[in-house]
Amino acid sequence: MSRARSRTTMMILGALAVWLGTAAAIAAPPASAPRGSTAAVRPATAPRPATAPRPATAPTSVRRSDRLPFDRDGAPVWLTGAELRSDGRRTADAVIELRGTRIATVGGPELRAKIPAGARTIDLTGKIVTPGIVAVDTGIGLVEIDAEGSTRDDAPSVPDPVRAAFDASSAIHDDSALLDVNAIEGITSAAVTPQGGLVSGQVAWIDLVGAPSLVSRPQVAMRAHLGQSVAGSRAAALLELRELFDDVAFHRRNKGAYDRNQSRHLSAHRLDLEALVPVIDGRMPLVLSADGVADLRAAIALAKTGLRVVVIGGAQAWRLADELAAAKITVFVQPSNNLPGGLDDLGARIDNAAKLATAGVEVGLAVLGDAHNARNVTQEAGLAVSYGLDPDRALAAITSVPARAYGMDAHYGKVAPGQVANLVVWGGDPFELSQRPEQVWIRGNAIAMRSRQSALRDRYLPRVRR
Amino acid sequence: MGASSPLPRPPRRPRRPRRPRLRGAAIALALACAVLGCTPTRARTTTPRTPEATATPREPAATAPTTIIERTWMLRGAKVMTATGIVYDAADVLVRGDRIVAVGPGLDVPAGTDVIDARGRTITPGIIDTHSHLGVYAAPSFAAHSDGNEMVTPVTPQVRAEDAYWPQDPQIDRARAGGVTTMQILPGSGNLIGGRSVTVKTYPGARGIDEARMADAPAGLKMACGENPKRYYADKGGPATRMGNVAGYRTAFLKAREYQLSWDRYREKLAAHRARAEQPPPRSSGDAAKQPPDAAGEPKDPPDPPARDLGLETLAGVLRGEILVHNHCYRADEMLGMLALAREFGFTIRSFHHAVEAYKIAPELAAAGTAASVWADWWGFKAEAFDGIRENAAMIAAAGARAIIHSDSGVGMQHLNQEASKALWAGRRAGLDIADDEALRWITANPAWALGIDAKVGTLAKDKQADLVVWDGDPFSVYTKAVQVYIEGELVFDREHPLPGGGTDFELGYEATDEVRGGGR
Repeated sequence: MSRARSRTTMMILGALAVWLGTAAAIAAPPASAPRGSTAAVRPATAPRPATAPRPATAPTSVRRSDRLPFDRDGAPVWLTGAELRSDGRRTADAVIELRGTRIATVGGPELRAKIPAGARTIDLTGKIVTPGIVAVDTGIGLVEIDAEGSTRDDAPSVPDPVRAAFDASSAIHDDSALLDVNAIEGITSAAVTPQGGLVSGQVAWIDLVGAPSLVSRPQVAMRAHLGQSVAGSRAAALLELRELFDDVAFHRRNKGAYDRNQSRHLSAHRLDLEALVPVIDGRMPLVLSADGVADLRAAIALAKTGLRVVVIGGAQAWRLADELAAAKITVFVQPSNNLPGGLDDLGARIDNAAKLATAGVEVGLAVLGDAHNARNVTQEAGLAVSYGLDPDRALAAITSVPARAYGMDAHYGKVAPGQVANLVVWGGDPFELSQRPEQVWIRGNAIAMRSRQSALRDRYLPRVRR
Repeated sequence: MGASSPLPRPPRRPRRPRRPRLRGAAIALALACAVLGCTPTRARTTTPRTPEATATPREPAATAPTTIIERTWMLRGAKVMTATGIVYDAADVLVRGDRIVAVGPGLDVPAGTDVIDARGRTITPGIIDTHSHLGVYAAPSFAAHSDGNEMVTPVTPQVRAEDAYWPQDPQIDRARAGGVTTMQILPGSGNLIGGRSVTVKTYPGARGIDEARMADAPAGLKMACGENPKRYYADKGGPATRMGNVAGYRTAFLKAREYQLSWDRYREKLAAHRARAEQPPPRSSGDAAKQPPDAAGEPKDPPDPPARDLGLETLAGVLRGEILVHNHCYRADEMLGMLALAREFGFTIRSFHHAVEAYKIAPELAAAGTAASVWADWWGFKAEAFDGIRENAAMIAAAGARAIIHSDSGVGMQHLNQEASKALWAGRRAGLDIADDEALRWITANPAWALGIDAKVGTLAKDKQADLVVWDGDPFSVYTKAVQVYIEGELVFDREHPLPGGGTDFELGYEATDEVRGGGR
């Protein structure tokens, strides 16, 4: 695999060259994506290159190379007086300058002197500001009603076990009811994930509100499933995965032969093999479901070959905490999932996150398998804290940890200069059940704090008042 | 003693003979006495253990003769939320045997009472869940554990959840650790009429339904509206539509009415027959050996009873008001339709379950006297759940109807206090004035009413069963945990001094579960 990696150096450089080029190029999927899939399933919601917004001047803190398709400059907005909780730190009486879609400046009260006279300021004294929360491994934007196949685009029941070229960004529903319902409770971004099979496809990073497209970056990670995802057999799943990765490397070396119809049989479609190249090169995270020790050991073995492995589930991860830490595998757990639902979940425990963190594992928190209530991840964080996780680590586990795990930490996860201006204003402890955001900011905009649910509530509320 | 100190426990009352005694109970008692320096308590009654209990193979120690002692003990100085409308900032709960003797501030301490300092803690009634499938959809979710839906035909009132309840389900331990003391075990919602429910307590160590069942709790009948039955039976002979669903309920209750009538007729005939039998035989004018038929043409033999039908027996129990209807129903239009159908047949629906759209018809629910068991925030997983809102419970309560937060989940069940909290705060944010005590009733007094057991449990009041939860803080905080749980005066969960011998049989002997047995996690 290391040989394969060195052989792709040129490809990486080529991809980066395109990536670093223009905003127009960025709007298209990155060059590492399979060419065929780019043409076939170009994100319908992505801006056309010719009309991609080009700000007059880029925010000072955002390098041209780091720009996202929606980036624009704007008049500064200064948020003052709140307690800022971000990146494991708490800053009293913070001053935060937003400019356009990004955060420009962050500091303590000493920054107040820098606020220009006449600038727009918002006094948040007594409030708490956190980074926007990231929903991980979610169907937000792909799933409207779980039981209605016609409303689902996460492809859970495609018969082919390998659909690596499936690109979630191409199917995001910009007007889903789930977006506002979750956004007004603090979920500002999501790693939107296809489901099912052995290799489900590519994860899209979206913001829950925004134009011209919700997609911030397509193809940020590859989703796959260990466990009994092939023929009801754990061993079969691992075997197929090994064969698949082998064929990815083989196909890359023998593309010409393949095109001349002189290749040996390959275990997956050409587009799927090409989509997996960045995974075997360790550039694209491989997000694996793994709960039992056997699957977690397999995930660790994959990580040792140079893959960037992220684990989802991790019911028994606490039993392998040291090994997971050594392999630098980020593990996303849902603390409330403490039932022995199957043999892989024996010993599932609510203090899993705390035990993993103590061992040095990078722990993320998520609501798994329920896109509609991704918003309840704050309750999950509260439970994790209640069972021993440090509160600042719990906040990181729903903000900066997901951003890092999905390779988006240059843009997301913190309230820091240069980051996308996704943040949440709270009246109190964000994890407490009494608290809901007072205001959510996404891409530098204070979003309308309304949803389909609040509209239903307001329609019927007058009938019940005594 | 502050909130951070471990809470001592009262001396253990020997378990009721019909349930097995946990190993180590004596050790627990000795420990508690070491902490408390408790004095010997008075034995009020002495009863030999029944042979049934002493014969348990798991408990050789229990073969020793023992006594049932009605201990008197008190939790003193806690915040006490009674679910009766009263919240005491500092009060005492006095328990004798399995009953609450008194609740209030500064209670007199009868001689011989063991007093536990509970300052800094909060005491509530045990949590009651109206909607659980624990034991019938047990964990692990093996195919062999799928005992909740008798989906061979859409109307199965003849089946009973109690016949499938597996008391070794590890989920029961977790529920108890979350403060749940009572739960209604329901058949699933695959059928129009799914069968009888059973109300159980979360006693540890139960080996069969009779060691788990709540004494004298009425049975319930599970019915289901909407998508589930029609989805499952669409290609199996129906119902395939909501029309078919309603026709199915109506057909079933028409049969039940006929069944009832046939028994009424039989009883009338039997009464007439007996009345005749008591009369002196009529004077014979001719053949004395041959007794003529009476004026109505009745034969001399007693009438034959109609054939017994288990399912119709259950539905007739509903029509008589003895079996309480629990109706899985999401949409407002369907709930209104079911209320009309129930009126047509002369029964009442005790509680709609799930009731995602109950907020749209809350005044009508109040008028019908039907409770609504709802989730705090589940929505969108089915079309009929798409209009779910966080304010549902609060809006039901605001309209004067009975709101209940239920779980339908082995996970949600462990945090029903938190679920109630989310619903409470959603209501407050919407401007509805809801007291903490009202939200507590959503998981205690109101479910007790829905299950027909409100005379025995659901509030902290004199003569109620001593089902208590001692919390380490505000039960509506995400950080608060149940530290002790009592059922009928007996300590069944202790977070700070885990009870010895806990855990289900299933989880024994696995390294992975070694640390988590007992449900403390």
